[in-house]
Parts: sequence; C-alpha cells; structure tokens
Amino acid sequence: MEEKVILSALANNHPGVLLRITGLFNRRGFNIESVTACTTEDPKTSRMTIAMTGDQSQIRQVICQLTKLEDVKKVSLLTKENASHSELLLVKIRVDNGQRSDALHIAYRHGARILDISHHTITIEATGQSGQIDELIQGLQKYPVVEMARTGITALERGDGSIADHDGMDR
Amino acid sequence: MKKTGAQIIVECLLEQGVDTVFGYPGGAVLNIYDALYEYSDKIHHILTAHEQGASHAADGYARTTGKTGVVIATSGPGATNLVTGIATAYMDSIPMVAITGNVAVDLLGRDSFQEVDITGITMPITKHNFVVKRVEDLAGTIREAFRIAASKRPGPVLIDVPKDITAAVTEYTPADPLPLAPLPEMKEETVQQAAQMLKEAKRPLIYAGGGVISSGATEEIIQLAEKLQAPVCCSVMGLGGFPADHPLFAGMIGMHGTYAANKATQEADLLLVAGARFSDRVAGDREQFASQAKILHLDIDPAEIDKNVHATYSLVGDLKRLLGSLTQRIPEEKHDAWLQDVENWKVGHPVPPQDNGGYPDPMAIIDAVRARTSDDDIMVTDVGQHQMWVAQRYRFNHPRTFATSGGLGTMGYGLGAAIGSKVANPERKVVLFTGDGSFHMNLNELTTLASYDLPVVVMVMNNSVLGMVRQWQKLFYGYRFSQTDPHRKTDLVKLAEAFGVTGMRITKPEEVEEVVDKALALGKPVVVDCQISPDCNALPMIPPGASADAIMMTMPDPTV
Repeated sequence: MEEKVILSALANNHPGVLLRITGLFNRRGFNIESVTACTTEDPKTSRMTIAMTGDQSQIRQVICQLTKLEDVKKVSLLTKENASHSELLLVKIRVDNGQRSDALHIAYRHGARILDISHHTITIEATGQSGQIDELIQGLQKYPVVEMARTGITALERGDGSIADHDGMDR
Repeated sequence: MKKTGAQIIVECLLEQGVDTVFGYPGGAVLNIYDALYEYSDKIHHILTAHEQGASHAADGYARTTGKTGVVIATSGPGATNLVTGIATAYMDSIPMVAITGNVAVDLLGRDSFQEVDITGITMPITKHNFVVKRVEDLAGTIREAFRIAASKRPGPVLIDVPKDITAAVTEYTPADPLPLAPLPEMKEETVQQAAQMLKEAKRPLIYAGGGVISSGATEEIIQLAEKLQAPVCCSVMGLGGFPADHPLFAGMIGMHGTYAANKATQEADLLLVAGARFSDRVAGDREQFASQAKILHLDIDPAEIDKNVHATYSLVGDLKRLLGSLTQRIPEEKHDAWLQDVENWKVGHPVPPQDNGGYPDPMAIIDAVRARTSDDDIMVTDVGQHQMWVAQRYRFNHPRTFATSGGLGTMGYGLGAAIGSKVANPERKVVLFTGDGSFHMNLNELTTLASYDLPVVVMVMNNSVLGMVRQWQKLFYGYRFSQTDPHRKTDLVKLAEAFGVTGMRITKPEEVEEVVDKALALGKPVVVDCQISPDCNALPMIPPGASADAIMMTMPDPTV
C-alpha cells in the first residue's frame, strides 16, 4: 500500500550532494514530491527533507540506497504522527477593485501574512502543513494566480529526540 | 616534505601498496606521467591502446587478485573512455580507483579544451567520486578513495584532479592506509534464528553469488554445504566461489544455468542466498522464483535485501563470518532423498549435444583448454554465447579464476581484462575466450599484448555472426536476422600477425587438440581463430521474464 512519508537526511555540506541524492531517486525510479535542502546548526552538515510516496518496500529501499551514499551521514523516516512538518507558500493573486477586502479576509482567516499590495495584485505568505496550504489556495481559487512558489515540506521529529538518536540507519 | 600534487598521487599509490597501474597519458595528466617517470622503478605502468582497455585491465587485475585496480586517464575523452569500464566494475562490485586529469581549476566550467564533467557523468556508476580543488586535500582524498573502494561491498571510485593541482606544491606526510569501514556486527539472536531455519529445512539449497568471492568465503561455504548436506548452485558471478567438482555442486543457476540448479530452486523448501542479488538473469520471474522456499538472504549490502525478491529472513554482514557462525550452530544434517533428487536431475537432464554441421564443437575446444590448464589458471571471457559456454563447461574450482562481465554484460571487456589478469598473475596461464563480435570491439589491445609480450591465449569462438542476439532472433523474432550476420572478412591470423602476435586457426574438429596444445605451450601471446558453426546455441535457456519451469534444453523446431 502506498503511503506518503518524509525522509530526513543529514549529509556533508558539499557541492553536488543534492545532485547525488536526487540522481539516486531518478535512476532507481522513485518519485520525489518535494525536496528542501539547507545548512544546519553545523555548517559542515546540510539537511535534506524529502517528501515521497511509495509502498513499504520502496521506502525501505530508498532509505538503504540513501544510506549507502558516502556523503549521507544519517537518514530517518518521519511520519505524520512522529514529526512536525511545515512548508512555506508565496502566492501573488490578481485582485480587481472591490475584491481586495474579501481576498485579505480569506488570507487572514487562514493565518497568512500579506507581503505586498499593489494596484492589481496581493502577495500572500503562509506557512503550515501542506493540507493547510492547500486549503488557502483553494479558498483563493476565484482570484487568478499571477505566480506562486511553495518550498516543499521541511520537518523535524516531535518530542525530545533528534535524527542523531537514530542508530538503525547510521553509517 | 614538499611535493607536487603529481608526486603526492604517486606517493599515495605507494602507501596503498600499489605496484601496477594501467592508463594512457594526455595533456591534463602530463604532470602525473612525469611523476610516474620519476617513480618508474617502484610503479609499473601498463600503457594500453585505449583508455577503455586500461579500465578493463584494472578490473581484471582486481578480480583475479582481490586488490584494488588502478587506472589513470586524461581529461575529456580520456575520462569518458573509462566510463564503460567503471560501469562494468560497478555492476560486479569490483574495487577500482580511477584517476582522471582535468583542466586547471580556473578553466573548469568554461567548456575548455578536453574538459568534461566526469564526476557528473560517473555519479551513478561509482560508489563515490571526488574533484580535488585544493592540493592540500589531495592525499586525504586518495586515501579515502581506496578506503571506499575496498570497504564492505567493493566498487569503483573516481578522483578527478585538475592539472594545476598536480603542479601545485604542498607538504606531504606519509601515512598508512585508512582502516576499512567496520563490518556490521553479528547479532547472536539473528544468527540463531537463521540457523533454526536451516535446521528445519528438508530440501535446502544454497545459491552463491559474487559476494562469496569478494569476502573470501569459499572455505566457509564448503563447510556449511557439507554440514547442511545442501546442494549448491552459483550465479555467473559466483562461479569458482564453490568448487564445480564438489559432489554437492548443482551447476550454474539462471537463464543459461543447468536443469538441476533451476529445478532445485523450484523444489527447494529453503533457499540460502549468499552474496547474490537475484538479478533478472537468475530470477526472471520474481514472483515465481523459488516459490516453495523460505528465503534466507545473507549480504553485506542492506540495500540488496528485498530489492528484487522478498526474503523471509535476512542477515546483513560479512559472509565469511556469517557462514562460519551458521555452520557452528547447526548439527550434521542428512538430506539423502533431496540430494538424490538433485543428482537425478543432474544425470537425467544434461544439455543434448548440438549438431555442429562439421564445424569444431565449442565444448570440445573448452574441454581441450580445460585439460591443459589447472584449477589456478585464469579464464577470462567477453560477452555472449561463448561466455555462457565457458561458464557452464569449464568447471571452475577456485575463486578468482574467472573474470567475466556479469552484471553489465560488456562486449569488449575480455582482452583488457585478460591483460590485467596476466599482469597480476604472471605465473598462471591466462586464456581469453571471446567471440568474433566481442573481439572486434576492442581488438586494438592486441598491441598491448605484443608490447609487453604477455603470453595470453586468445581463443576467438568465431561463428561469423553475433550469436547470442541471433539466438534471440531465432527464438523471439521469427529468424529475422537483423544486423547479426556480419560475416566479416577479417583474417584473424593475419590480424594477429600484423599486431606482432602469433596467429593460429582451427577449422576442423580433428584440429582442436593439436592447435590448443600448441597455443598453450607457446608461452607467447597468441590468437586462435576457432571457426565454429553459426548455429551452435547457448543452452539450456530460460526465456527472459519466465520461471525455471520454462527451461528449454533444445531449440524449438522453427517449422512447428
């Protein structure tokens, strides 16, 4: 049965690491839904957060293959239950005169921020779980989107634990 | 002490115990070659005709010794010419370090002359690769590359070194080789559980792959098989890992494996898989493969577990230790009825002899070589029908005596690999079996055989057609021989002579013994043009994607 999971990987902060990881997904035929990459509290280490869909054996295979990459130091599997996850949306919508207050109302109702208001457009920023972001976009559906960017999911384990505590997939 | 980058490269090779490298010079590696000149009393460099030949030579060197093979090439085309050799080594888990030159750091990314992004190109076919952009990082990178290449599941590693880095000077401090990555620890309870599965089995079968050879676990697998009284079959990569003359040997498994090995896979109630990966050439139908058996999978690479065929239980670790400790945990078993079944399949289902239409029989040629070589001599093959005939027929009794491209199936692999095998093992006979198709791909390396006077015996199974593809056209494409009947005009004897190599020819069955005798006794490089039938096929054969039940012992009648 297919499920959506989030993989969190700590890797050497070298040029090309993202390419090694995405290249692996590509050649093994696994689908990435989103990937985020950034440096961590340790500048030598970067964290990749990969959202993917697959069945149990595919997910296990991805984790094993990722763990084999020399630059990857740790991989952990995050689920809805054990992780806090969030993504960022920036969306610029076209708003005609007279519609502006309605659009702003929808944005505020979804906890979004307004970054910019121009003559014909509003740029909205929202953070939250993917479902919440989807709901906001749905709510704004009547306004034509000029452009939009979503960062994809980033996530951390809930509670006191961290990726460093996992030993199963350690190198 | 202060050294240039090029000197550091050679010093670091010496640190690793490297005494032989294969390669080809060029602009971006001029400094490295200048250092090789300086160190020529310590490192033997073999110059091939083409970088691909050098990469296969490093592979043959590694396969037959277990040591990491080293190949050096220049930037751009030199580097891309290594790609097939690196991919071949990657698919068969062969330890290799490839060092490529590149343009100077400030020319990188500008499409400079002979610049190519070789790390980008080789990312999917190396365990890891590096670009060295600071001379201070060079020694550490080379040491790390050797550690990665030989650790756990071995494989190729590439180091790309821009030309200015090879000229730059820095402090060099000698160091010992880095320790290999630690092997996974064995957990007592998991080994016990696996042993329990062995004890409960009534019809156990061992399927041994290349992992048995790379972990040096031959003794351990023999002991386990004998104590468990289980028949053993080998994948192509596993041949030699378990002695073919052992009474428990059931033959090769898979597409061109024996009836007995494939039938046993279908009938076994327990399949112990040792260092093998259920390739599609073994498990054509993954769902039906060993359908009655519990599968116990042992491998050093956790990514192989459940990748192709689901394992009932698995142990990740070094095979030598895993097999040894399993043997300790089981009593002397008896499976007489099961062994008798396997024996009956062995005796009752040999491959029927094929009609060779008056041409010499390839099996007789292989037998003639077998009779004049010992268990320690080295057989190398190219890819195609001849490869399967040798795999089936030769009877490999010792590990690291068979060098063949199993995973990638690289036509043109053989001659380079034979050169590397002979350089590594000057005291052993090295015979290359090739086909006229494979041989035509990289026969340029005959010049290397002649230059270094390497007494490799090249047996060209010359059927004048691209036999394996043609065989598939017979089976699956209604005898429409599209581009597989080249009937090339090459006179292989004259060709050999043109390269400075002896040429011989076998055209009749009665010439086989005498010519093979002469070729093997010559002690010089020799090409034997063995003119065989275009219609001798590689049998048995399980059609691709099918289960072992579909095994064909003869070719179907085309008129039916």
